[in-house]
Amino acid sequence: MALVGRSVPRPDGPAKVTGRARYVDDVTRPGTLVGATLRSTVARGRLRGIVRDLSFDWTGLTVVTAENVPANVVALIEEDQPVLASDDVRHAGEPLALVAGEDALRVQRALQHLRADIEPLPPVLTVADALSRTAQIYGSDNVFRTVHIAKGDAAAAIAACPVQLSGTYTTPHQEHIYLEPQGVLAFWDEGGGAHVLSSCQCPYYIHKGIKRTFGLTDERVDVTQAVTGGGFGGKEEYPTILALHALLLAKASGRPVKMIYDRKEDIEATTKRHPSSVSITSGCDRDGTLRAVSIRIVFDGGAYVTLSPVVLSRGALHAAGAYRWEHVAIEAQAVATNTPPNGAFRGFGAPQTIWAMERHMDRIARTLRLDPLLLREKNLLRVGDTTPTGQFLKESVGVARCVEEAKKASRWEERRASPAPAASGMFRLAPPGAVTARKARGIGASVYLHGAGFTGSGELAHRARIAVDLLADPKTGRARFRVRGGSTDIGQGTETVFRQIAAEALWVSMDRVEFATPSTAAVPDSGPTVASRTVMVVGGVLEAAARSLFAQIEGERQQKGGSFEDAARRLLAAHGTVTVEREYEPPPGLAWDDATYRGDAYPVYGWGCAIAEVEVDLDTFETSVLGLWSAHDVGKAIHPTNCKGQIEGGLLQAIGWALQENLVMREGRVVNARLTDYVIPTILDAPRFTTLLVEDPFSRGPGGGAKGLGEIPMDGGAPAVAAAVEHATGIVCDDLPLLPEKLFALSKETRR
Amino acid sequence: MNVRFTLNGKPAALDAPPAARLLDVLRGALGLTGTKEGCGEGECGSCTVLLDGAPVNACLVLFGQVEGRAVTTVEGLGDGAHLSPLQEAFVKEGGAQCGICTPGFLVSAEALLAAIPQPGETDIREALAGNLCRCTGYQRIVEAVRAAAKERTSREPG
Amino acid sequence: MSLAELPLHGFERPASLADACATLSRRAGKGEETVLVAGGTDWVVSQRLAPLSLGGELPLVLDVSRIPELLGVKIAGERAAIGAAATYFEIRHHSALSRRVPMLTAMARDVGALQIQARGTLGGNLATASPAADGSAALMALDADVVVASVHGERRIPIGQWFTGYRRTARAADEIIARIEFTLPRTGAHQVWRKVGTRAAQSISKVALAAVGEYERGRCVRVGLGMGSVAPVTAALPTVRALAVSPGPLAVPDDQLDAAVRRDIAPIDDVRSTATYRAHVASALVRGFFRTLRPVSNAG
Repeated sequence: MALVGRSVPRPDGPAKVTGRARYVDDVTRPGTLVGATLRSTVARGRLRGIVRDLSFDWTGLTVVTAENVPANVVALIEEDQPVLASDDVRHAGEPLALVAGEDALRVQRALQHLRADIEPLPPVLTVADALSRTAQIYGSDNVFRTVHIAKGDAAAAIAACPVQLSGTYTTPHQEHIYLEPQGVLAFWDEGGGAHVLSSCQCPYYIHKGIKRTFGLTDERVDVTQAVTGGGFGGKEEYPTILALHALLLAKASGRPVKMIYDRKEDIEATTKRHPSSVSITSGCDRDGTLRAVSIRIVFDGGAYVTLSPVVLSRGALHAAGAYRWEHVAIEAQAVATNTPPNGAFRGFGAPQTIWAMERHMDRIARTLRLDPLLLREKNLLRVGDTTPTGQFLKESVGVARCVEEAKKASRWEERRASPAPAASGMFRLAPPGAVTARKARGIGASVYLHGAGFTGSGELAHRARIAVDLLADPKTGRARFRVRGGSTDIGQGTETVFRQIAAEALWVSMDRVEFATPSTAAVPDSGPTVASRTVMVVGGVLEAAARSLFAQIEGERQQKGGSFEDAARRLLAAHGTVTVEREYEPPPGLAWDDATYRGDAYPVYGWGCAIAEVEVDLDTFETSVLGLWSAHDVGKAIHPTNCKGQIEGGLLQAIGWALQENLVMREGRVVNARLTDYVIPTILDAPRFTTLLVEDPFSRGPGGGAKGLGEIPMDGGAPAVAAAVEHATGIVCDDLPLLPEKLFALSKETRR
Repeated sequence: MNVRFTLNGKPAALDAPPAARLLDVLRGALGLTGTKEGCGEGECGSCTVLLDGAPVNACLVLFGQVEGRAVTTVEGLGDGAHLSPLQEAFVKEGGAQCGICTPGFLVSAEALLAAIPQPGETDIREALAGNLCRCTGYQRIVEAVRAAAKERTSREPG
Repeated sequence: MSLAELPLHGFERPASLADACATLSRRAGKGEETVLVAGGTDWVVSQRLAPLSLGGELPLVLDVSRIPELLGVKIAGERAAIGAAATYFEIRHHSALSRRVPMLTAMARDVGALQIQARGTLGGNLATASPAADGSAALMALDADVVVASVHGERRIPIGQWFTGYRRTARAADEIIARIEFTLPRTGAHQVWRKVGTRAAQSISKVALAAVGEYERGRCVRVGLGMGSVAPVTAALPTVRALAVSPGPLAVPDDQLDAAVRRDIAPIDDVRSTATYRAHVASALVRGFFRTLRPVSNAG
């Protein structure tokens, strides 16, 4: 039946297109209270107390402060972040107290009658201040983590090269703008068990956080994922805090509590992409053969550790790009500032360092007067090469084909040679009086890789578990199957692809396989839905589990005869529900040393090439992306339409990051926390995409070789756009975003 | 204030505060949670409904303003038993990912196809410019509307 | 976030302009506040950003979106009258307007996106008096009159006197904007609408230019200009207007034109753009408009 490789209709589609899908704010329980948060307005200070205005009528309102929190820590990598600030206030927007009540208006009024008594302290707002230690805000040096990667002797090798080039490349915050703001519904049962319904990526993260804060055992905590309106990393770690807040209010009030952030609070308080500064010095031959590179990376982690160490690690591991270097030296630091904590965002540190490397490749091409894509092609990693950590690439390196196909589809040579006239793919509404008629077109490219799955020994540490059940259909008595795991569908299509993989392995149609709602009470922990790992890693475990269940039924059939259905029914009659649970087995020979940063950083890599054509108005410096051609090596496309949807969505997020998205902070506070002022691309800003899938299978990937793909498109969009702007205008911009204001300022320096 | 209006093709009357947002009345008292709130300031289009056939943001309409008018939400697009051609196309073509913006897109697209049965790409993009999607990059949404337009025309008799 | 207070507001839907004026007059006399709401694209949004009231009397909401006298577009001879509650959608699709004032049509098409166009009104733009309002810039270029009504009758205020300060207008508390009137640009007039916003749709202008250049026997006799987001109020660019007529577009060197633009605007840095960029774009747009004025092909 070959389900794998077919773009079947999404099984969760009908509920979503009819409005029947229930997101957390669509669900209620009798007696549910509305919860809200009092937040700090200062970036740093000492909290002396929370003062209630006694002239206000507090009847029926529940107030929670740090004193009410059993263990006041958010369980993540470090336990430095409190659930509610108790002593130190470390960023604007930090939660200080919580209020719940029947009526949203009274809750709002109550917040206005709570006063946080904070003694302000001088904040550390920039990375430069953090590193020069204008104040000590974390450890002895304000550094959350440092990573070193070394291969050969980079300094000596660069010094010996005829061409030595240096540059610094920077990127800003990026807000996820999942269109459903964060939200949760929480309650306690009579036996003291905690229940949470959450818009989230990782129910088991929340489970862990609740166990830690409330001192509960596994089975006393039930976290269920509601239909989730987008995540992109923003619903990886933050929902834990929100769930803890709602549970605190629910405990204190004895009622269910719902907390739904409005857009302003969501932008002000939740995590963002880490701002970065990356300095690169490279050495190469005059013909463009790359030899050696030295890279220094600094990420702004914000006020708490959250996931910064691992974001930094992934950033560092991708910093050398998709290229062969004999000598590499990378030093990376994540530092503390008094700004809202930065966290997971699609790409997880790699988009920042790939931005730097790709701009640097354009610098080399510019200096040596080489075609930027030829320079890249000349230096691409191939099977048999080793990465900066010494990882030997033994298979599935489809990057050369990606470049070739994207180049061909975009008619690169032609457009590169004559940037002006080209078929218009432009959707900007034509202005009636073309008063700014001077426009320039240009084309630019980027090439990139993305490690699929957790970094290093992460998969081994997490040991994803997933189960497949054989059960009787309550109505027909026929055999049915069910996939159970903690991996969530946040729009990317987990349910669809898991049902495809399982149905294919079981030789049944997809409608006979259900996907259990991820709920920690009912599903094993398949690990978080992050790191481009769901299809490749968890899907692989699922495939093995489903095959094993098939073998069991098939064994029964061979032994006792009848059809597959008969055999399944006999097993059901004998055992009730039959369950096969499997655990992740690392591919043999995979080795990683976290102390030295040597070895196999990832089981395999996805590869990509993005080519953008832009048009720049030379009077106003507005940039439109006209076309975006891309090719990505996904190993095996289990659902081609979903793959393309992921790629196009990721590329457009990257285009937004490149051209429009501009989070403005003053004194550590976000001042444009509205969709009117933090602008993401509309359908008229989006280019026409030509999206090509390259399949260079990964021998351990499910469905015949699938690799991770969720994050890689975010890596390549921004540098391709910046390169195209450079081609169109001669303006070199190494600092995102390429706002018209910035291009205008640079144009005065450039003067072509 | 008792407000009389037409809701998804049927007469409706509801006693609710007239200065409340239509969005809150739909999601609250009327239980029609298919209309979503993404920003509350008329930017994202997730709360798009039809008001006398025109797409509007339900977060900016006061309930009292719909007196005597016709409101159509996503729940009113199909016939209950079957998906409409647009709904079907969004499922098939990958127009819906996380789905939170989808009801708004469907409502806007419905208004487009009612006005222009065979829209060109620019028509489609202009008609959907008030709806934000963060998942798809919009291409699959354009394809879905195109496919639905084709399907609707072929379903017409003659 | 005082959205939660919305349900507490009183709400009335006056059946006629006279009813609306009577209510306004009665309330204004008692010092009671009244909010006139049509599309709600400004006021309802502002409620989510406003602090909670202190618990006093909330303003009465008057729904003016369907007062018959405030609706529709009428063209009589060379005069146009647009009802204060006519929507951008209606303006955009009005065929006579699109023939005679394509600049206005283009402006209406550029406001927000369809959902906003279906609700937003010129009356709203004039009443809230945001300097970024696209409608106000277009009306400034047309030298429109704002006609307000009250129990005392009508009052006609030239748009040049309408904006009295940042988000302040000449409207009295008992008055309601009834319609906007202007003389249609002469046939063959050069008309320009150019919005430079934060993105391709659903955007607030960083700079927007509305311009009309009218000719008589090949000579430019009148230039109307309106510019958004470059000053506390919609800018009329009087110095630039004067230069276009005398010495005339052909005779103005670019640096003199730039200096005139600088004199007529007072841009600032804000979360959407910078003063420097706005000044540059203002000049570029005006220069561009002057370029379109030069080749006179189809005079009067």
